[in-house]
Amino acid sequence: MASRWTRLVLVSLILLGLQTTLLNDVRPFDVMLPVMLLFAVTAGTLYGSEIGATAGLIIGVMYDCVLSMPLGLASLVFGAAAYAAGLLPFFVREPTWWTRAITIGVVGTVGELAFPVAQSMVGFGGHFPPHVVVVVVFLVVSGMSIAPLLLPVCRWALKESPVG
Amino acid sequence: MALLVLTSIILVTLDLQGSAATKSMRSIFGAVFRPVESVARVVTRPATNAWYGITHYNDVTVENELLREKIAQQEGAAVAAAASVRLSQELLALNGLPTLAGINSVSAQVIGDSPSNFSQSVEIDQGTESGIKVGMPVLNAAGLVGRITQVFANRAVVMLITDPQYALSVKIINAPKTTVTTAPNEDPASAVTIVSVPDSIDPQITVPTVPATSNIAGFTPGSIVAPRTPIISSSLTIPPGSNVSVRETGILEGRGVGRVPTVRFIDATQRFGVVQPGSPIVTAGGSLSLAPPDIVVGTVSRVKERLGTAGPILEIDIVADLSNLSFVRILLYQPITERTAP
Repeated sequence: MASRWTRLVLVSLILLGLQTTLLNDVRPFDVMLPVMLLFAVTAGTLYGSEIGATAGLIIGVMYDCVLSMPLGLASLVFGAAAYAAGLLPFFVREPTWWTRAITIGVVGTVGELAFPVAQSMVGFGGHFPPHVVVVVVFLVVSGMSIAPLLLPVCRWALKESPVG
Repeated sequence: MALLVLTSIILVTLDLQGSAATKSMRSIFGAVFRPVESVARVVTRPATNAWYGITHYNDVTVENELLREKIAQQEGAAVAAAASVRLSQELLALNGLPTLAGINSVSAQVIGDSPSNFSQSVEIDQGTESGIKVGMPVLNAAGLVGRITQVFANRAVVMLITDPQYALSVKIINAPKTTVTTAPNEDPASAVTIVSVPDSIDPQITVPTVPATSNIAGFTPGSIVAPRTPIISSSLTIPPGSNVSVRETGILEGRGVGRVPTVRFIDATQRFGVVQPGSPIVTAGGSLSLAPPDIVVGTVSRVKERLGTAGPILEIDIVADLSNLSFVRILLYQPITERTAP
């Protein structure tokens, strides 16, 4: 049986395909839904900070490979966002699906906004778009909406395989 | 977490240093990912088309009508423009000056936008196998679109001119306002009016006739009328040297999503004068420039004056519609600054 990381890579590859085609073309309010980032954050909310950070790193490197930004920038942002999402149990004793959905929406939005900051840190002059308020509202709402779909997919991808 | 940060920083550092390892990693991933992306594009095309149908139908209908009208208007102008361009290129070639016609080009199709909310780039379906290299300028039918920033075997990434990382030296062709000068003359009947228009010569000579009388003694004025003599009152249209189009160079810089590019470092000399909105902007060329000269970039849309000697900042309207790029042309012109030692 494939390991959890192999499954994660395969699922991420499919999501990346959707990200670069459908979600890249369909931009409500001129905002793209960052499904790769939301998937990394979902990994953090389900499996904690360490697994989340590793998943974020892997997903981020894959995303970096199709971006024109320096390799490692998305992995840093995704990893940090997933790590932050993994801290959910420190604030909510027994997270339910809807607390996870809210976390995915909020942390995913913060992670997306961290992109320009990370870009400016490496001298790539990140700029917030003029409609940043619309971006924030849309990302929070859409992140919470898509979370019920991402949670079972991520749970399956990262479930621990039985040994032997 | 520390491991994550460390790994990311190492990757960023390696990539910014131009490491071959990160380049080959991107290349291998691109080769693996491309079939997945193609399948995803085919599968999601109906949904994408439905989305465009819902959101853009009215716009497309209106735009279609406008475009039909515009095409009808421009068909005639295009023929004249093509003739002018040909003449200009012949003239440049006769004088041994570089022309765009002498640079080979490759056509490519845009196969994807940047999957990011903060990056301004598109992907095209031609790469190193077609002779494309980093730094080459990219055009569409209207004008400059951007430059190549990454090249793979069968694809390349184009940074658009609206990207904050994009900078290019450009020329602003400023046409001073038309002035009317009347040369003083004691005889108002023969006053010479000079109308100066910068870029056209339209000579027209009007020949009014006035009755001339003889002052010779013995002749009664009025009884003998001499033949009517023409007095030339010139109304000539000539281009004085101080009013021809003036060119000034500046730096064009992209400013990101939803913001128009600007041109800075304009030297506000007296000869250059006040920049008129609508003045065309073309690439400046030069040995260190990222693009050959005289590629159309856009027109001045707004002039923001600044105090002191800083010179104005020009906001420009790009002639190429970057939101609807389908086919582009890559000039096989690699700037000296982008050439790597063999």
